[in-house]
This record gives sequence, C-alpha cells and structure tokens, in this order.
Amino acid sequence: MPPPSGTYSLGQPVTISDIGAELKKLWQEGEGAMTRASLINLAVYSERPGSLEKNTQLIAKITENHSCRALVIGATPESKEDRIEAWVNAHCHVSREGGKQICSEQISFSLQGPCAKQLPSIVFSHLDSDLPLYLWWQDDFPNDMDPQLWAWVDRLIFDSQTWKDFDKQMRLVETAEQEARQRIVLCDLNWTRLDKVRYALAQFFDHPASHHHFAKMESVTVNFGPGYKSAAILLIGWLAAQLKWKTNQQHMNGSCRFLDSNDRKIDIELREKSGNPIGEVILNSQQTKFCVKPAKCGDLLEVSRSGENETAKPQMMPAQSNDPVDLMTQELLRGGQHRIYLRAVNAVRSLLGNGGSPTRHGD
Amino acid sequence: MNRAAEQSQENPLREGLTNRAVPQPCSIVIFGATGDLTHRKLLPALYNLAADGELPPAVTVIGFARRPKTDDEFRKEMEQSVKEFSRQAVRDEIWSNFAQSLFYHQSDFADESGFKTLADRLEKVDKERGTRGNRLFYFAVGPEEFEPILKHLKAAGLNKAPEGSWARVIVEKPFGRDLDSARELNRVISNSFSEEQTYRIDHFLGKETAQNILVLRFANAIFEPLWNTRYIDHVQITAAETLGVEGRGGYYETAGALRDMVQNHLLQLLCLVGMEAPSDLRADSIRDEKVKLVRCLRRMSPGEVAVDVVRGQYAEGAINGKPAAPYRKEERIAPDSKIETFVALRLNIDNWRWWDVPIYMRVGKRLPKSATEISVHFKKAPMVLFNKETNEANVLVIRIQPDEGISLRMQAKIPGSSFRIEPVKMDFHYGTTFGKASPEAYERLLLDAMSGDATLFARRDEVEEAWAFIDPIEKAWSAKKDAPELYFYPAGTWGPEQADELLARDGRAWRRL
Repeated sequence: MPPPSGTYSLGQPVTISDIGAELKKLWQEGEGAMTRASLINLAVYSERPGSLEKNTQLIAKITENHSCRALVIGATPESKEDRIEAWVNAHCHVSREGGKQICSEQISFSLQGPCAKQLPSIVFSHLDSDLPLYLWWQDDFPNDMDPQLWAWVDRLIFDSQTWKDFDKQMRLVETAEQEARQRIVLCDLNWTRLDKVRYALAQFFDHPASHHHFAKMESVTVNFGPGYKSAAILLIGWLAAQLKWKTNQQHMNGSCRFLDSNDRKIDIELREKSGNPIGEVILNSQQTKFCVKPAKCGDLLEVSRSGENETAKPQMMPAQSNDPVDLMTQELLRGGQHRIYLRAVNAVRSLLGNGGSPTRHGD
Repeated sequence: MNRAAEQSQENPLREGLTNRAVPQPCSIVIFGATGDLTHRKLLPALYNLAADGELPPAVTVIGFARRPKTDDEFRKEMEQSVKEFSRQAVRDEIWSNFAQSLFYHQSDFADESGFKTLADRLEKVDKERGTRGNRLFYFAVGPEEFEPILKHLKAAGLNKAPEGSWARVIVEKPFGRDLDSARELNRVISNSFSEEQTYRIDHFLGKETAQNILVLRFANAIFEPLWNTRYIDHVQITAAETLGVEGRGGYYETAGALRDMVQNHLLQLLCLVGMEAPSDLRADSIRDEKVKLVRCLRRMSPGEVAVDVVRGQYAEGAINGKPAAPYRKEERIAPDSKIETFVALRLNIDNWRWWDVPIYMRVGKRLPKSATEISVHFKKAPMVLFNKETNEANVLVIRIQPDEGISLRMQAKIPGSSFRIEPVKMDFHYGTTFGKASPEAYERLLLDAMSGDATLFARRDEVEEAWAFIDPIEKAWSAKKDAPELYFYPAGTWGPEQADELLARDGRAWRRL
C-alpha cells in the first residue's frame, strides 16, 4: 500500500522477478481514491553511498509536479559480490483539484558487482511501456559505458558542474548521442541553472530597436558562486554562440576576449563571489548597461538597463533555484530539443576544458 | 502562431527559450478600469504574467474610468483585487514593483479632452518607461460606450501608431445583439482601427482544453480518419452552470442564453471540433477554416426553429439542496420576462464531412452541475458477434471545464468464462497528468494580443456569420404570431423535458454528466 505523503522510504523489498506482481499488489491494497499517473520513466543512476535513500527523497518531491515511473538505481560496480536487491513504493500527493491522491510508482535497485553493468536487462525491463525514458546520470560517465544503454534512453540528464574533466565527459556524452543517432536529447542541469538568467537577458533585446546594442557590445561581466565557474562559462558560451562571437584571447586571471562578426573586441570578466551560482551579470554596450542580479529576497532576479540618458528602473523576474528538485522540475517542464546547448558548449569548449578553468590559449 | 519563429530570429537570444511569439513592451489602457472585469480578471492576469516573468518589464497599465481617483488609490484597489482573485499568492516584492507600472486616468468616455490628455500621458510613458509607442486599448465596457471611446481615440490620433510601433484594440463580447448591430459595431470599430488591429476576445478560446482540441485532432493520426459522417453518429456540446444571473440581470435581460453563450463560446467550440485542417498555424489560416464551418451551418426557417430549438427559463427549484429563486424573481429581471436561461439546439452542418451528423448543443443556468464539454458519439459497431444484445457506441469526451481532460469510452469483456461486454473508460485528466497549473485564459489572451497573435481572437467575418446563423432563431422567438413556446424548468434540473425530446425523437439521449 502506498505510504502517506511525507514518508519517503524505499518501500517493500521484492525479488526482481516479482516486481510486476508487487506493484499490482500495491494498488490493490491501497486505500481511498488513488490514481496512478505516469508521463515518463525517470531512471536515476548513482554510485554514491546512500544515494538510494537520498534520491528517494528527491523523487518524492519531483513527482509532485511530474508523474512518472521512477527507477532509482544505487550501484557499486566495483563490489566483488554480485548482488541485486529491489524495492517498490509509491509517492502520493493530493491533486491540484484536491480530494484525489495522485501516485507515482518507484522501483529501487541496489546493484552490486558485475550486475551493475546490466542496466538494460535488469532495470529497463521494468519500464512503463510506450513512455519515454529519461536517464538522470548523477556521476561522471565511465569510459566503458554499455553502448546498448543508449538505445533505450530518450533524454540523458546530467550536471556538468560536477564533472572533473569536462572535455572527456563531454566526449563521452557526444559519443552516446552519436550512438543513438542524435535521438537522445542532452539535458545538462548546469544549463538549466541558466534558464532564468537567459530569459532575463534575452528580454532586454525583444524590441527590434534594441538590436543595435548587439553590434556595440563592449564587455560582459559575470559573477559566479564558488564551484560554478562552468555555469558562468556556459552563459558566455550562449552569448557567444547566439551573437556569433569567436574566442580571441584567454587568460588565467578570469578574463578573456571574444571578437564579434566585425572583429570588434568584447572583453569578458568572470569573477568568483560567494552567493548564487550565477550572481550579477552585466552587459555593457557603449553607453548602455544591461544588468541582471539576484534580488535581495533571494528567489527573484532584479533586471535593469541604464545609460547616459536613462536611469535604471529595476524590475523583478523569477530566478532559478539551485535546489536539485527545482532544477529537475524545470528541466522536465521544458521538453523539446536543446540545440542551443551544444552550440554554447562548442563556443567555449576550450574554456570549459580542464574543469572550467580558463586556460591560456594564445593571443 | 508562426510569429514566434520570426521574432526569435529577430532576437537571437530568444532562440530556444520560448516557442511562442514574444510580447512587446506596451501601454495597456483599460477603459472601464473600475469595473468587475478589470478587478476579477484583467489585473490578476497581468500580475500573474509579471510574477511568471512573462510580462515585458516596461509594460505599463493605465486604468481609464470616470470616477476620480489618484494613482495610489487605484493601485491600492487593484492590490486588494489581485490578492483576492489571483491564481497565485501575491508577493510583496513583485507587487510593489508591478504597482509602479499602474496608473489611473480619470475622464468621462464622452469627454474629448480626456483623450487628449491620455495621448500626452502615453507619450510621457513611452519616454519614461520605454513602451516604445506600442498601445493596447482594452474595452472592458459595454458596447454602448464603444463609439464615443473609439471616436475620441481617433480624434486624439491614438488609433495610429508611430512607424515601427503598433496600436491594437481588444473588445469584449457581446459583439452586438444581432447581425445588424454586429455589423454596425464592426463598422464603428473599423472607422478607427483596421481589422488587423482589432482583437475580439472570447475567453473560451484561451482555455487550455479548447486549444488542445486542434492538437488532439491534428497532432494524432488516429482520430482524423474517423472524424466524419462515416464514423460519427452525432456530436453533443454542453455548457452547464449552477449559477443564476448573479447580479447581471440588467445585461441578461437584453441577451439570453442564445446570445450570451451560443453565438460566441459554443459556436467557437463547434468550429474547433468541426473545421478542416488549416494549411498552417497562422492566425488567418485557422480563422479561415473556422469561418468556413460557420458558413456551412444550415440556417433555420421559423418552422425549423420550432422543431429544432428548445428554449427554457428556470423556475423555482433547488441547487445542491438549497432553494433557488425563479429567474423572474431575480434582481433587475422583469416579472414577466421571456428571456431564455436555457437553450437546446439541433444543428446541421452542410458540408461533406458533417453531412447527416446532427450537432446537439445545450446551455443553461441553474442546472444541476457546472460543466462544459464536447462529446463525439461514434456510430455503433455492427450488431453481430459480441454486440447482439447490448451495443454501446464509442464516445470521445473533451472536458473543457472543470476537470479538464479527454476520455474515450469503449467496450470491454467482463472477466469470466462467459462473454459479457461492458463499457469502460480511458480517461486523461490534465490535473493528474500535468502537475503544473494552466494559466488563466486571460493571461494567454493578453500575451497574445501584446505579441500580435490573433489566432485565439474572433475575426469580423466569424462574428458576423455566427450572427447570421443566430438571427433567424431570435427572430422566430420574437415573432408576434406562432412564436415557439418558452418552457419552464425547475432550478437544479437539466432543463425542460422538451430538450430531452429533441434527441429522443432521433433515438438519442443527452450524455449523462
């Protein structure tokens, strides 16, 4: 029987062969008006100790907005013992209209030893049929990824902010994408982190009368929180890709230079400051300054433009929370292809290499 | 709809961020700023857009009304309304910012000088707030006020926008009370604003489920081959509400259910269900197909009105166990009123797709429950094999409100050794499947108007063709001789029994809601 909302345990232990029957039992024994809902299969893979419990808490919250069949996998491939354990559970919450309980199923797997390499046969045989599979890979990708895996996956979710070697990891991801014949959508939570800042910056230029600023851009300053340099570089990559800038100079001290299509120089400064992953962002276009920064209240962005004959009139816009549940909720909400992402990555690939530390690339 | 693509090309930073047209900074002037619509719908919608980051920061709202009021008083009033009617909780940080974009302009609608000062004020707003000469005039007033407002807007030069900017007008229903008055209204509007500048709002079209009808039909391969006279037996459209006239007696006495609901909302829904696939998703491509369908509606002779249309008025009864007064005893209702609060119709669409497929519509106040839905009843399977004894048809139901969703009824075998067949339902609920709450219809429609996307707004010819269909019914009802009877039904029932007979004589019945 599904537990009441608020208790997020792994649930009932089951043998692999009985998962289907135990899930059925879960619903038969349930009390009250419950509706099982599922839009996607969401598989979460982690090799970190304690990840099963931690991810169960995340899934319980994510399913409040995104009904799915969750497949939570805790793996220890280096273990000598070849052992599989499984649990079934359901996360229920009251629907928006009230009254009815909407429930998402969770099947949890603990895979120890060689079986951890057999995701398709052990885990993916329990997918909710006909629904897409989103695989949230929480660790670095290993070199020996099972190529069969990619035939199953529709969206691959990862967070490049946690990668130790961006270049190597990105190559693995791109290989996966190629193996799946570009069918897989790459979803980087580090990119999702930039969603609201990108919205806030884009809106400055919605009116055609603002477009002349693109050709007058002189400098960009991005403040980023400790550990989020890669997010800041991705943001620059997005500007560079969309505005057709190309790299010119890269320095060690956090600044670099791009050239626009007319070979005008745009100076980029990245500054680490405690606070949000992305702090203040300033675009300077000759006399006009476009500024997006976290508002004092914390969960809003303050956007303003100012110039010689223009005083800043700050406006508020929604900000992206850095909580993993909120990032996943936002990512699952977006859907569609993320073509701009790879374009942004390619624009700053050399900067992103070596863990997001800008390196000297030549003048 | 394809303006989104055009605009994202214009602003390269928008690419991939949104797949809809981007709203432009503008001044929104609301005529009738102290009215119910502004308080309950427009300002809450604008606040929600601001809170979701959908509203361009420069957007400025100017409330235009007769009562003297300062900007601050207007802001305070609006804060109360937004707190009461907004779909999301009001946050002080967002409200204080949003409130700075609200202004009040006091003037009588008939006072030309008030519009001159409005023009000066708008110019000032353009300079100070960056609204760039874009103006959206929202007529939240009765149609009798349209002419003076439009005349003075034109005299003040506000119907035209400077090069590179735009001026648009949003008008609320009723778009006239018959074909002649609709034409007159359209003529009055067109004296000041071109058709491209005119946005006739029908909030039903802003509802998520109404928009989903086209997706259901044209994004799925399985329905369209069946969507015709060969496989569909009939279609039912019901818009039921438990409420009475709720203080709108004065207006309702001049309208009635046919004008208030059928001419606009229900015919719009019928268009979405019945139209052919548009060649593309441009506003006019979709509206061309809708208007073609309305043109195909068979006009009724007085004799046909008597047979195919049932009108009713609620009498004393009970709603949810509470006594409900008869319509004739409601506030501002004539004690001998003959206005219909219920209407049921049998329509025919004279084209190849819908030939011989009757469309049954019913709309009413003080019915047992509030629900708007469309049900497509397919033809029965041959009465052989499993269907010898009972033969239920497949029914596809599109629920517009509440509990938005789609269900499909089909036959299934009851488990057991014998072959017993019972209908079962495949049911999709928006609320269950998608955790995110849909935006209010007015939010979507206001954004569309700011973006220049008229897809979800009614075009002049749609409105006039709809009246051309409705007029003969109204004329038959108001005839001095042999006018069809007005039937009474107790509040809390599904209308007069004659409405049931309308289907029963064709061997059909209203779907039980």
